[in-house]
Amino acid sequence: MKESILAVRRAIDELDIDGIGALAVKCLEEGLSPEEIIQEGISKGLEIVGRKFEEGEYFLADLIMAGEVVKEAMPILKERMNPGGRGKGTVILATVAGDIHEIGKNIVGMILSANGFEVIDLGVDVPAQRILDTAKSSGARFIGLSALLTTMVESIREVVSAAGAAGLRDRVKIVIGGACTSMELCKEMGADAYGETAIDALRIFNDYAAGA
Amino acid sequence: MHPIDRALNALDGKPTDRVPTFCAMVEDRTFNEILGKPPISQEWLMTNPAARFVLDRWGPKLTRPLFQPEVTRAMEKRIRAQVELGFDSVWAILDETFTVLDHATMVRFTGSVFNIQPDGYGNMTYMYRGPGFRSREDFESWPYWPDVDDLAHRTYTFFRKMVSRYGNRACLFGQGPAYGIQESLLWAVGFEKMPVWIRREKDLVKRYIDLNEEICLKTNMALLDAGVPVILQTDDFAFKSGPLMNPRLIDELFGAPYRRIIKAVHDRGGKYVLHSCGDNTLLFDTFISWGVDGLHAYENTSNVDIFREKKLHGDKVTIVGGVGVDYLLTDRSKDEEVVDTAPRTRRWWTRSNGSSGSSAPAAGSSSPPCTA
Repeated sequence: MKESILAVRRAIDELDIDGIGALAVKCLEEGLSPEEIIQEGISKGLEIVGRKFEEGEYFLADLIMAGEVVKEAMPILKERMNPGGRGKGTVILATVAGDIHEIGKNIVGMILSANGFEVIDLGVDVPAQRILDTAKSSGARFIGLSALLTTMVESIREVVSAAGAAGLRDRVKIVIGGACTSMELCKEMGADAYGETAIDALRIFNDYAAGA
Repeated sequence: MHPIDRALNALDGKPTDRVPTFCAMVEDRTFNEILGKPPISQEWLMTNPAARFVLDRWGPKLTRPLFQPEVTRAMEKRIRAQVELGFDSVWAILDETFTVLDHATMVRFTGSVFNIQPDGYGNMTYMYRGPGFRSREDFESWPYWPDVDDLAHRTYTFFRKMVSRYGNRACLFGQGPAYGIQESLLWAVGFEKMPVWIRREKDLVKRYIDLNEEICLKTNMALLDAGVPVILQTDDFAFKSGPLMNPRLIDELFGAPYRRIIKAVHDRGGKYVLHSCGDNTLLFDTFISWGVDGLHAYENTSNVDIFREKKLHGDKVTIVGGVGVDYLLTDRSKDEEVVDTAPRTRRWWTRSNGSSGSSAPAAGSSSPPCTA
């Protein structure tokens, strides 16, 4: 493993937002491909950050910061990237109808995007039909729904039911998260999985992408 | 025992005749139902085409003479409804922090932007839309900073009235037009950018914290001078997954101002309760080191084991909260669920906490549509 790619990994781990850009450029100058840098540098760095988060060494702000560090590097790498390189699949993210909270959803989007998923973020207060229309037109296999307000959880059921009625349930996995959600609610609503944290969400979508 | 003594004894860790109760009602629909719905719906007043036209055109100019008095009336109704329900202690807020920009938008003076929207039951409510500061220039040119002395004066005037009307019936936990220093920063620069601002814009963050410390300090002093015995300061430091930041960083950034504020409140004879939603388990020691007398909210999705925390920290701080009305009292709740759960919750709390002081059952951030 080249020292330069280990330096990228370390920069992500140490949340070095000011140093990451130069390190990414150095990797490219040494002949490493953007995909290699993402896989061995950025993704591995994010894995370390995720592990530290789960072990309680890092906190939510550190996760966000890691996402921001990745954002500094991505434009540099994207310029040289093979367009077919983001191969884990497409995830549609939305805060359900009636709810406009988006912080958690945005974190999940950032983490998924940095880990090789194509993310279509539909924003907040999104009607079920729009989510399904997007799933159909994009061919996405994954939907992530966020809800903070207890009063809006029925909107999750609407998406699940509408996906069933549209014949998409066999093809599309629906994962829920957000302050008011839980494993019990996931079962009650007929969704496929519940993620309490952004790292949970990444693990779930990674498992689905790998066909687990 | 008088409700005020009951609440203050609990905050002092002294015995009480029974566990005191605290009401955290902030939903317009709930207090309007308790007091009787107003003849003209707030929603209609704000959303009819004429009002939209006026607000779109003259929103900022009309904030002080028209919008703010309506909000202040709502604040008083909120207090009245809580007192009429018979709680020992109630959350009394004066929220004079907004300027209306148009019929759908208002800004809080500390740098954040909110949607104005109907709550679906005839009332208006608001929800965070995004940061007001996206750059250093935004911060430097922000036109909505308040005149803090004028704000403190208005706080005093409002709470003087509230104390004279309700202060002998329930213990007022007062919050002036000052939101938590950390959460204000988070709203002002945005959740995703806050860690970057803390890293890259140290001088601005320091100035922002200083400004908010002044707002908190002066409005808190006004509350105490008006006769409010307890300050309740909201500052959500955590999410259900844990603290937003490393507790060491939280203490480094916000510890000194909070210690100064709490000391000033104590020196003036008041008590200080900090409201922080989410899983605050790792923050108890930090908050206690700042000098807080009580900690609220411990909503049932917070993941805090409040009984464990009471055993660990009950001799140093009073835990207020832990009743999950967010789940119990919603439109999805059935009457029989409410009837079944309410006494069970009461027994559970009393068995776990007794009446030895240093605890008070209360809802979390709000009481959603009440069916009781």
